Amino acid sequence: MSTTTTTSIRETRGRKVFRVANTLILVFICLIFIIPIWNVLITSVAKDIDVMGTDYLLVPRSFTLQNYWRVLNSGYMGAFKNSLFVAFFGTALSMLITVPMGFSLAQKHLIGRSILMKAIVFTMVFDAGIMPFYIVVRSLGLINSMGAIIFPVALSTFNLIIIKNYMASIPVSLIESATLDGCNDVTILLKIVLPLSVSIIAAVTLFYFVSYWNRYFEVIMFINDSRKYTLQVVLRSLMFESDESLGGGQYVYNNLKMAVMVLGMLPVLIIYPFVQRHFVSGLMLGGVKG
Amino acid sequence: MADKPIVIRTKPPLWTRVKAQKFLLLMLLPGVVWYVLFKYLPLFGLSLGFTDYGFRAKVSFVGLENFQRLLSSSIFWNAFRNTLIISLANIVFYFPAPLIVALMINELRSLKTKRFIQFLIYIPYFFSWVVVGSIFVNLLSPSSGLVNNIITRFGGDPIYFMASTRFFRPVLVSSYIWRQMGYGAVIYVASLTTVQPELYEAATIDGAGHWGRLWHVTLPGIRSTIVTMLLLNLSHVLLIFEQVLVMYNAAVYDVADVLQTYVFREGVLAGDLGYSIAVGMFTSIVSLTLVLSTNKISARFLDEPIL
Repeated sequence: MSTTTTTSIRETRGRKVFRVANTLILVFICLIFIIPIWNVLITSVAKDIDVMGTDYLLVPRSFTLQNYWRVLNSGYMGAFKNSLFVAFFGTALSMLITVPMGFSLAQKHLIGRSILMKAIVFTMVFDAGIMPFYIVVRSLGLINSMGAIIFPVALSTFNLIIIKNYMASIPVSLIESATLDGCNDVTILLKIVLPLSVSIIAAVTLFYFVSYWNRYFEVIMFINDSRKYTLQVVLRSLMFESDESLGGGQYVYNNLKMAVMVLGMLPVLIIYPFVQRHFVSGLMLGGVKG
Repeated sequence: MADKPIVIRTKPPLWTRVKAQKFLLLMLLPGVVWYVLFKYLPLFGLSLGFTDYGFRAKVSFVGLENFQRLLSSSIFWNAFRNTLIISLANIVFYFPAPLIVALMINELRSLKTKRFIQFLIYIPYFFSWVVVGSIFVNLLSPSSGLVNNIITRFGGDPIYFMASTRFFRPVLVSSYIWRQMGYGAVIYVASLTTVQPELYEAATIDGAGHWGRLWHVTLPGIRSTIVTMLLLNLSHVLLIFEQVLVMYNAAVYDVADVLQTYVFREGVLAGDLGYSIAVGMFTSIVSLTLVLSTNKISARFLDEPIL
């Protein structure tokens, strides 16, 4: 915000103190966010000798990729593969449902459009809860199958509305002229709308990917077979059930734990820097109201 | 008046329109099926809350018995109390945090720094609760955690945060803030850019100081965002679940068990479906009442119903 010269001269001293204090507090807040993540990263590449003590690493002391090697050659590899499977196929399915539906809902002349939109928004306001959801999934015979962690969460109303709003903002004249040229709705979507929506589609794809990767409670609710567990589930038991303060089982060195943790946050670490802008614009487009 | 009104048909008959829109309707189909299966079918499942579904092969209607049972269950009341305490703490401590940080970021002059800080504090929002919980286990570990390292450095005894009935709730609230704050702050910062600069100039001419402008221009300017965020928070504050499910353990059940984890244990783990649906329904109704009444209050005092 711009301050006019008269006031800034009058307030110089107080303002300066304020500005310095403000900056210092913000630096402190940033540290609270950086340090725990930084510690995970450097511990995951530390040698055993450096994690035997009681120090919380703030500066890297050694660098080795051996921990990752050990983790990927252990039982954790199975869970890692399951997570990848769910995230890839889940995201593909989600996009196949969400994009055509969003496109369809974006067409103002669609039959029953306003009723459908109301019915969709209603599900955001009132949710039946965990148990009715569980019973539906169970009666569909999905328990203990990978489908149980994909189908029931295949669509996100938030993502649907982001796509719908974006596609509704594409000029109608483009679509009308394509119709005159003999395009039907499928070809319009494929040839005209999709090429114009690449960035929003990329953002929603990544939203979906991260949400599948992060799922925890659906997995433990619907899956009993430990061979089908995803990385989040095994990471949880590694971190919480062998934690010494909870009187847990066998001792695992922290560098190995942190290597599993880095795998658990891998997609976010890789994807986030590139699409952070979209996460923000997506939020704005979808509107807080939905 | 006696003449028949002339009907002007603006739309072709329904069947013609359906035929013309067949591709659009087909594209809608998978999504509609999904909504019916996973969002609307469960709503019908709520009726099972009035039955003894779960243990017997034959399901029979029991009226309000499940609700009477929950009202007389001490575990239920404990979970209800914990939910209220944790929710209240989340609202009091979490709700103002992103707003304050956004206002602080807004005071910075360099656009690059503003962007960088938002980039940084927004990261944890994309981590799963398992990852966030693990980060806190690591940070608060009695042997090698940063916090206990500092405590022992100053001669204190290490605190077993994750297993302490005294500290577990503060741990829940702080990890909630750590994960969610960036999201709120980013929304507020974006909203702050929509406040018109002329208003600041006018306020300055009228003699408003720095704080005066904050109070009379900035905050009113983002009022609707603040109310929306409050409603959003309220709508899921009582439904707190995954975070607790990940982080709690037997040592802290007394202070950490919330309504949703109670539902999960009774329903999925113990198989008492009818009863757990009743508990879930109770939670949903209380939560909805909270949101609707806040919406009403905001409509009356701010002329701004959000829903």
